Amino acid sequence: MPAVAPRSGDAIFASAERVNAELFTLTYGAIVRQLITDLEEVDEVNKQLDQMGYNIGVRLIDEFLAKSNVSRCVDFKETAEVIAKVGFKMFLGVTATVTNWDAEGTTCSLVLEDNPLVDFVELPDTCQGLHYCNVLNGVVRGALEMVSMKTEVTWIRDMLRGDDAYELQVKLLKQIPEEYPYKDDE
Amino acid sequence: MIGVGKIKQYSNVLDKPVSKGKQEVSLSAFAFLFSELVQYNQTQVDNIAELERRLEDAGYAVGARVLELLCHRDKGNRRETRLLGILSFVHSTVWKVLFGKVADSLEKGTEHEDEYMISEKELLVNRFISIPKDMGTFNCGAFVAGIVRGVLDGAGFPAVVTAHFVPVEGLLRPRTTILIKFAEEVLKREARLG
Amino acid sequence: MASTACFMIVSRTDIPIYEAELGSALKKEDAAQQHQFILHASLDIVQDLAWTTSAMFLKAIDRFNDLVVSVYVTAGHTRFMLLHDSRNEDGVKCFFQEVHELYIKILLNPLYLPGSRIASSHFDTKVRALARKYL
Repeated sequence: MPAVAPRSGDAIFASAERVNAELFTLTYGAIVRQLITDLEEVDEVNKQLDQMGYNIGVRLIDEFLAKSNVSRCVDFKETAEVIAKVGFKMFLGVTATVTNWDAEGTTCSLVLEDNPLVDFVELPDTCQGLHYCNVLNGVVRGALEMVSMKTEVTWIRDMLRGDDAYELQVKLLKQIPEEYPYKDDE
Repeated sequence: MIGVGKIKQYSNVLDKPVSKGKQEVSLSAFAFLFSELVQYNQTQVDNIAELERRLEDAGYAVGARVLELLCHRDKGNRRETRLLGILSFVHSTVWKVLFGKVADSLEKGTEHEDEYMISEKELLVNRFISIPKDMGTFNCGAFVAGIVRGVLDGAGFPAVVTAHFVPVEGLLRPRTTILIKFAEEVLKREARLG
Repeated sequence: MASTACFMIVSRTDIPIYEAELGSALKKEDAAQQHQFILHASLDIVQDLAWTTSAMFLKAIDRFNDLVVSVYVTAGHTRFMLLHDSRNEDGVKCFFQEVHELYIKILLNPLYLPGSRIASSHFDTKVRALARKYL
């Protein structure tokens, strides 16, 4: 049986070792800047940011499960809530709201209530197609894949592009039932 | 229901006040991000020197901004015009804001007049990265060296800044020393200012 | 408001990255160019003076007929240069300090390359508003 998931990541964040958000924000900015210089095409930068996020998500899930005492969430709805309230809080110190569920319960949105990645970012004319925060998509996608949920994550609203919020849509494509052990690595 | 975030929307970033620097993220979030920075840059280079140079460049971009922000916010719009002043600004103010503590030590090089060293037993960026044996002397502190160079260069104290592991007796892990070698013009100016 | 005021931001490598004619006087075609020329000529004085004080506001450092050159040097040696005919030093200081804060926000954008031209129209609008308020 899955343990009851904590409803907030406040306590975990409070007890975790933390660093100044400005170091984080400026370092992320330096990464984006490097990618733009190296890759030139904005689409390629978006892809690379997503890939970096995916790598992070794949590795971050263990720490998340360990610290949050969540055993695996079976239900996608519960999972979305845990990401929004515990996951984001635990790592970035901010929370998100889960909203805009579709009728099937397989697509929802995470609306960020704050975003430490973007302090004073403004997209210059040459970077209009840039999804500056694309690393977040990758993180969510990578982490969920590790708990057997194949998802597609896309930006619906992006304040850097003039929208009124940061909204990530998470669509569950496939949930692989966990029936361990499989035999392939024997 | 349409979800609306609680982020205050400004018509432009210039309307938003400069942050007070109190916001935090978890160390692991930074560690994950930093490790991606290193891994990405590994794919872009052929050798360790080049990798360190690229990390230094990334750090430099941070340092140039940190100088301007902190002199305004934490130093009440005072500029540093003297060598010891700017070194102590790096060792104390910059370190405290970015790494949560002042650096363990700031020393003058014993052999060369133009060299200074800032040392840290456990430099933040070296705490969570273990370096594979085949990468030899590679030091992630190159990123921090870049931050230091960005601050110094911006303030008018050009220098060559490098990061080195230095074994310490009685400690399991080597400490990191950021070695600062100032350009000749800096020392000349210092002498002139008396 | 000052009848003549020409404002220029010069990068630490001596490249003008922003300029604006801010005075209330009727603009003459070649006046702006002449003003910028005068400001540029004062850079040498700034270069020496900047190392003799830790203050950012260097006050009036040069004169040209009835016009005064006031200068503000940021921590990163970006220089704010103002050619003006007003004698309101406090106003000039406030103007510089608020432009400084705007400049920091421009600089904090990771996608802005330090030392490159400041193209933001919001920046321009705000600088002009500050000039009306303080100069």
